[in-house]
This record gives sequence, structure tokens and C-alpha cells, in this order.
Amino acid sequence: MDNAGEFKPIEPIPHDLLREPLIWFFAEHYRHRDVCARLIDLSQSIVFDDVALRDVYVFLDRDLPLHVIDEEDDLFPLLRRRCEPDDQIEKVLGMLSAEHANDMMDAAAVRALVARALAEQSGLASFVEARSTIEPFCQQQKRHIAMENAVVLPIARHRLNEADLISLGQRLAARRGLGDPFKSVP
Amino acid sequence: MIRTLLENNMHWASARVRAEPDFFRRLSAQQAPDYLWIGCSDSRVPANEIVGLDPGELFVHRNIANLAPPRDINFLAVLQFSIEVLKVRHIIVCGHYGCGGVRAALDTQRRGLIDHWLQPVADLAHRHVEHLEEIADFDTRVNVACEHNVRAQVEYLGHNPFVTDAWRRNQKLAIHGWIYSIRDGLLRDLDLTVGRPKDVDRLASRAWFPNG
Repeated sequence: MDNAGEFKPIEPIPHDLLREPLIWFFAEHYRHRDVCARLIDLSQSIVFDDVALRDVYVFLDRDLPLHVIDEEDDLFPLLRRRCEPDDQIEKVLGMLSAEHANDMMDAAAVRALVARALAEQSGLASFVEARSTIEPFCQQQKRHIAMENAVVLPIARHRLNEADLISLGQRLAARRGLGDPFKSVP
Repeated sequence: MIRTLLENNMHWASARVRAEPDFFRRLSAQQAPDYLWIGCSDSRVPANEIVGLDPGELFVHRNIANLAPPRDINFLAVLQFSIEVLKVRHIIVCGHYGCGGVRAALDTQRRGLIDHWLQPVADLAHRHVEHLEEIADFDTRVNVACEHNVRAQVEYLGHNPFVTDAWRRNQKLAIHGWIYSIRDGLLRDLDLTVGRPKDVDRLASRAWFPNG
């Protein structure tokens, strides 16, 4: 996917970052933006790229749902418990949660399209609905991520205490079948 | 289909004995759990399993929406027995996100007897209706109400005479509020632990929402 034409897979997040869970979220958002850029490229190509399609399929199928749980069942409830009235967090979180629900439906449509491309060994541009399905999804993802990076994560940095961050990092790891990141020696 | 359960049981008992020949002899000799678990009846929240405890280590009471109702004779009998006879040291109220009971208490659909059972949850939601309605996404609203329901049960328990009598006797007893996510199998400590009347007062004075 780079200029030289050599495929580079979606970069995994280094496990070390589980000890810095808020950085983990930033890194995960960076990956989401990268996946969106890949999807836009793929949606404009009629060439069948098995490896690239499979890479984004796995992300949509596994990583994205986990990320929604990271936020919906972990980060956001923690923020609700820790924030002060001045933070006015509820409106932002309420909006983001509603977007998550829609994101999962839109992601399912994109994933189904990618699965179809893989099954039929076709480039995504071969399907008439490719642009109208993928572009709005990617635009929405970018807006959503920008809001989380600009508002939610800075408030989290300010409000979550050391114990919150440790338990958050431990659950991020457990959710992915990994051991306690605070017990392993770097 | 029902036969499968009996067959499973035989495999389970046999595997237990293979792993620890004295397991059932030890278990039948006495029951001495340190924990009372008050959880939801939801079949996806198996109490012993999610906390990694063996039979005999957790005294369990489950009902729809993990309530600690002050007038439910079944619950009160469990509570008294666990505190006064088993002398448990910890009571865990464990809710779960997406709880169907809490969801039912928040909507307006009539379901019959269950509505009466869920009345305390509906009352709690009604007390915080302005704040809850600020949460646009209904699933999120349900999840917030699930956490609040756990807190309400911890507070009820903190005022329960069996609990306050135990504290008066200097019996070590802490009440904890946790929540479980069926989506990832993980528990969250809601920081509601109380171990004496002062803690209960402090908890009762804590804001329910970030905006008051």
C-alpha cells in the first residue's frame, strides 16, 4: 500500500502501550485512520488485492468491535464516575455512544462488502455500492476519532487516577487474551 | 437433550475426582465460604466461574436484576444465614451491563408480575430521570442504570439490620459493588465498597452523575 507498491500490513499496537492505556487509545485511533485511508484506496480500485482486503476485513471483524467495548464498557463508564460537572462529559459521551451503535451497523455493511470482494475475487470498485458504503463510514470514523482525541482523551488524562489507568490497561489486555501488562518486566 | 446434562454432570464429577481425589470428601465436610454473591439470574453470568472459585467458596443468591430487596424473605434468609452462620467477610453485589431486568424497568412496556419485582429499579430511574434522559443512546442509558442499580443495592445493604448488627458486633464485613460485561467476560469494581456505617453515609452523599 505504499508508493513502492510493497504491501505493508496494518500496524499492530505494541503491547508495551497497554501500560499507558490512554496512549493505547490514541494509537488505536491512528490505526482506525490508517484503515479508513486503506478502505478509500481499495474502494477506488478494480484490482483484486487479496492480502490488503483480508487485512482490513480482520480489522473490521475483530479490532473494531473490541475497540467499541474498550470505550463503551470501560473508558466511558470510568469517565462518568470520575468527571466533574464542569467537564460536561455526558453530552459528549452520549453522542459518541449513539455513534458507536451506528458505527457497528455501518462497519458490518463495509465488512460484508469486503467479504463479498474476497469471495468473488474482485476489487471493491467493481461493486456499485462500494463508494456510497465506504466513504460515509470513513468520514464518520474520522469525525468520531477527532472528537475523542480532542475532548475525551484529554479529559481522561486529567480525571483518571493511577489505579483507574492500571485497571483499564489490565482489562484492555485481558480482552485481547493477553496477560497483565503491569506484571511483565519490559 | 436433558440427558446431556446428566451425562455432563458425570464427566464433571469424574474430572474433578481425577484432578483432586479428595475434592468431594473435603467439600461435603463443611461449607465455609468467605463471600456472598448477589447477582443477576441471567444465564450468561455464572457466578463461581467468572471469579474463578470452586464449589464451596461462594454463597450465591441470584434474582432478576441482582436486587437486595428489604422485604424479600428469600433474600433476607440468605443474607442472615450468610452473615450470622457462615460469617462471610465480603458481600458482592454484581450487576451486568445490558441487564434485561434493568432495561425492562426503564421502558414503558407492561409485563405483569415482573414489573412489580422491578419497581425499585424503575423508582431509582424515575428519581434520576432528568439525568438519565440526557443520555441519548438507550443502551448506554440502560448501562448507566445498571451501575446505579448496583450502587442502590450496596446502599440498601449498608442499612440492612443484619449488616449493621454485624458491624456493631465488630464482625468484619465489607460490601462491594461490581459490574460485569457479557461482551468481554470482565468485572469492573465500581468503587462502592463499604465496611462500616460511616462508609455508607459517605457513599450516600456521593453524586450519582458527573453533572450532579
